[in-house]
Amino acid sequence: MTLLDISQLTLDLPDGTRLLDGVSLTVAAGETVGLVGESGSGKSLTARSVLGLLPSGAVTTGSLRLDGLSVLDATAGQVLELRRSRASMIFQDPRAGINPMRTIGDHLTEGLRLCQRMPNGEAQAAALSLLESVGLPRPAEHLRQYPHELSGGMLQRVMIAGALTSSPHLLICDEPTTALDVTTQAGIIAVLAEQRAARGMGMLFITHDLNLAASICDRVVVLSAGRVVEQGDAREVFLHPHAEYTQRLLAATPTLSRPRERVVAAPSDAPATLAPPAVLAPPAADAMLSVRSLSKEYHRRGKEPVAAVVEASFEIPRGGALGVVGESGSGKSTLARMIVGLERADAGDIRIADRERTAARTRAERLAHARSVQMVFQDPYLSLDPRITAGHAIEDALRLHDSRGTADARARVLALLDQVGLGERHAQAQPRTLSGGQRQRVAIARALAIEPDVLVMDEATSALDVSVQAQVLAVVERIRRERGLTVLFISHDLAVVRRVCEQTVVMKTGAIVERGRTEEILDAPQHPYTRLLIDSVPRPEWEGERSATP
Amino acid sequence: MTPTVAIRVLRAPRVPRSSTWFLASAVVLAVFTVGAVFAPFLAPYDPDQVDLLNIQAGPSTLHWLGTDSVGRDTLSRMLYGARTALLAPLLVVVSSTILGVLLGLVAGWRGGWLDAVLGRIFDVVFAFPSLLIAIMAVALFGKGLVAPVIAMSIAYAPFVARLTRSLVTAERTRPYVAAYRVQGFSGAWIASRRVLPNVTPIIGAQSTLNFGYVLAELAALSFLGLGVQAPTADWGAMINEAQAGLIGGYVLPAIVPAVAVVLVVVAVNVIGEELSDRIGGGISA
Amino acid sequence: MTAARRVAGKLGALLLTLLLASMLVFFSRFLVPGDPVSFLLRGRKPSAEAVAQVSAQYGLDLPPWQQYLNWLVGVLHGDFGRSLQYRQDVSVVIGERLPITLGLVVMAGTMIAVIGLAAGIVAAVNRGRLMDRAVLIGLTVLGAIPSFVGSIVLIAVFAVQLGWFPSFGSGDGGFVDTLYHLVLPSIALAIVFVVLVSKVTRSSMVDQLGREHVEVATSRGLTRSAVIRRHVLRNSIGPILTVSGVLVAGLLVASAIVEAAFGLSGIGSLLVQSVDRLDFPVVQAIVLLVVTAFVVVNAVIDVLEPWVDPRSAAGAGAR
Repeated sequence: MTLLDISQLTLDLPDGTRLLDGVSLTVAAGETVGLVGESGSGKSLTARSVLGLLPSGAVTTGSLRLDGLSVLDATAGQVLELRRSRASMIFQDPRAGINPMRTIGDHLTEGLRLCQRMPNGEAQAAALSLLESVGLPRPAEHLRQYPHELSGGMLQRVMIAGALTSSPHLLICDEPTTALDVTTQAGIIAVLAEQRAARGMGMLFITHDLNLAASICDRVVVLSAGRVVEQGDAREVFLHPHAEYTQRLLAATPTLSRPRERVVAAPSDAPATLAPPAVLAPPAADAMLSVRSLSKEYHRRGKEPVAAVVEASFEIPRGGALGVVGESGSGKSTLARMIVGLERADAGDIRIADRERTAARTRAERLAHARSVQMVFQDPYLSLDPRITAGHAIEDALRLHDSRGTADARARVLALLDQVGLGERHAQAQPRTLSGGQRQRVAIARALAIEPDVLVMDEATSALDVSVQAQVLAVVERIRRERGLTVLFISHDLAVVRRVCEQTVVMKTGAIVERGRTEEILDAPQHPYTRLLIDSVPRPEWEGERSATP
Repeated sequence: MTPTVAIRVLRAPRVPRSSTWFLASAVVLAVFTVGAVFAPFLAPYDPDQVDLLNIQAGPSTLHWLGTDSVGRDTLSRMLYGARTALLAPLLVVVSSTILGVLLGLVAGWRGGWLDAVLGRIFDVVFAFPSLLIAIMAVALFGKGLVAPVIAMSIAYAPFVARLTRSLVTAERTRPYVAAYRVQGFSGAWIASRRVLPNVTPIIGAQSTLNFGYVLAELAALSFLGLGVQAPTADWGAMINEAQAGLIGGYVLPAIVPAVAVVLVVVAVNVIGEELSDRIGGGISA
Repeated sequence: MTAARRVAGKLGALLLTLLLASMLVFFSRFLVPGDPVSFLLRGRKPSAEAVAQVSAQYGLDLPPWQQYLNWLVGVLHGDFGRSLQYRQDVSVVIGERLPITLGLVVMAGTMIAVIGLAAGIVAAVNRGRLMDRAVLIGLTVLGAIPSFVGSIVLIAVFAVQLGWFPSFGSGDGGFVDTLYHLVLPSIALAIVFVVLVSKVTRSSMVDQLGREHVEVATSRGLTRSAVIRRHVLRNSIGPILTVSGVLVAGLLVASAIVEAAFGLSGIGSLLVQSVDRLDFPVVQAIVLLVVTAFVVVNAVIDVLEPWVDPRSAAGAGAR
């Protein structure tokens, strides 16, 4: 039985921008349909239109029927009825989606009390049993708590319970796990699958993560720029994509289990890095970056001190790439910030190119530090100064470290931009006119301008779409090859680390729990936490077959 | 995560901006500024010249906006009055902005105990409304505008400082500042050459709005008889002098300066709000 | 942190601010160069008796800190010294005039709360639409009407032209008559503050309207009015309350202007008179009173904060 039937849906803004262009899809009861696409593809908008949540003044054509009700022609009363009993939605960020000033109990019972006119006692009981069914540890206590007292994963479970209070026929999930850690994500996905099965609901699952879609969806709809480019059985779409866009998307998506052709080889003039690194051996003579027993604690007033990094030691040979993998709170970013000198370590030492890294006091020390290590930050929208053009930003860095003439600096700016695949046009662009990928490439060019010994990349591609991520990773790989750059690559994404790094360390609550060659770690993890991380990464059941297909 | 396109589209309240208001306000301000600067050439009469034949006269070709209770030309007095009305708030705004930005930058960038001490001082000054500080200054140093202008410069500085501090504190944690540090730039350079210019537009918009408040408050002071003293032409003082006639129905000598105050304050507020809207939109994008 | 410790901390901060403010009020006199006796007795013929009285009252031969402590102890016992103008205790002079000012402030405060909130809510709910634009334009114009301009316009229209309301004084002392006399003054006083309250109401509601939790509430089938009430308005209370606290002192000072315009004898007009007649002890006392009112009201709002925003109790970052 078809629950949701969208046919030829178009949506235009009053200014004429077409955001959806003839979208058609169906969801049957008990079925999970994945809506997959990159940012700006229109997937969130499609989902919202099912609930009548449209931008003001938007013009729609086509048809959208839920449970036989035509949503686009529905009266205000019908829309309320639809939201109250037919469909519910789970949003991306539970921290933003639950009113911070009301209790969890209020969030859960509000719909029951106000919309279903259920007496308070009954509503409380219903909320309690729902909290239990989504796997929260202390339901009675949670009802009285405020959102800030719960973790992100717990809040997302609350959000799910809240969406289920109305016993919907269709559950719409808009990137429900994007804001969460991978191990937390696995739990949320399990709860969703369990509830869908138990209630026989239809589910429309929106995600940018192809592997996630493949792991839980029966059918998949691929959206690009407001159009459906491909749809069909999930397995079919993933194994034999027809549309060129889907093919590109799949190619750009890093996976855990399929070792790709490594684009990066170690630089030819440094063959030493090709040898299997001795994991716990004494420091190699040519270690470019060496970290010994680094520790850092955060002290907050009235609270227990938090150990952000505990006795971390590792080294990266000249020209090597080390991945640091961990979830939020693992201390991986603190580690990066200590290495580049943004935070002072409590104990331990950092050596770069055999020079001890200490607090910079004089101008000369500061500049020497900057030349030894540079960093690319996570959010390209925030790491460029909004007022300074891309070219000017790079030129500033060049001039600080090198007092050559203006003309020479300009020429080198263009050369650097060229290296990351950008041109003169981009040199004059304000950061806000550049796309996320372009910004991140500017950030890389700026870091390279100083010709550092080591480049630290802190989640440098996690805010980017997969296709853009692939481009940026390709740039990094090429530069490593050409310059013999040493890279410390920090990421929560095991698949990306596999693509970039020969060596990997796994961090958990500040400590390194496992280290070794990336492939060995991913294929034969020793530490239980590493195993948990790897097992939590979503993957389709037919994944093994994929590597066999041409 | 940056919000997706869908969310941004859904949430953007589309308020059509009309530049007409902005332009009209700029014209109003320009007219009053020109009037104030060139008052000696534009005013038909000397502001203190008494026309005994036309006392409390209505508008005529002789006196376009009539005369007051002693027969002085209202238009001329309004033009001359614009001088103190515009210059005094300008002095207050400029000096409080300079002082406030310096203190706010230091507090926000340095943080720590210095921030705490400055914050406590601001809190104490906040407890004294600016008009009250101005009145106290008059009580201490006598009537006139000099003491109130200095007092209000001090009274407004903490507002600017607190705004600057909060903006600088927010900027300081942004990755672009960390990026400058990693590149080897000194803290002083980043604060003064990069962070300060980034927050200046917002402070400028706020100071523009302050101009309106200060103008109204200084005019109020003269209205109370504590600011500009007779016979000097000033909008607040003119209204004060015209109060007696008001009961008898001679509204013009009071209404003309009142309209002038309202027009200038509206114009300044429209410009200030428009500026802060435009800037606000530009930064968050 | 427990609630009791939090309140104790706030109380400490309150006392510290008050102490610093009282020093500012007291020592401001020392900014004036010259002989303190001649400063305090400016414009008067200092009889030997008056000089002796002022010297004794201020203990002018004592070191400044001693003078301050004596003054502070007096103030804490309700003794603000003697008025030079009225030859009465300052506390008596102020006490006689306080009711009018309080009446004015309460009436204006009620108008500010009701009209300010209503206008802000109407604008926010209709954001981007004609109604919003109309309210915003109205607010921009009203916001540019300082209370002295408001006063003369109200007098010209409602007292002189229409004759609906009196333009002068506070009436015969009867409650209803006093209220009647305070209508125009309260409106004149309220105008600018109404604008401030409705602007902050509008902007914080518009901010909340764009939040995801509002979208979630809408997606669950709550009616628009329930969403506005439970999620938008509820979450906007914090900023509104903060701004209201700041307004209190402004209201007390601005009442000086309105009282002068309408010939009311409250502490505002007393302040202006005392400045005019160089009656410094009264000025000092009124300034201290206004500052204390501001600090106390804001401390109360501070203490209420965890109730307004549960996150603040945990010390978690706001927003």
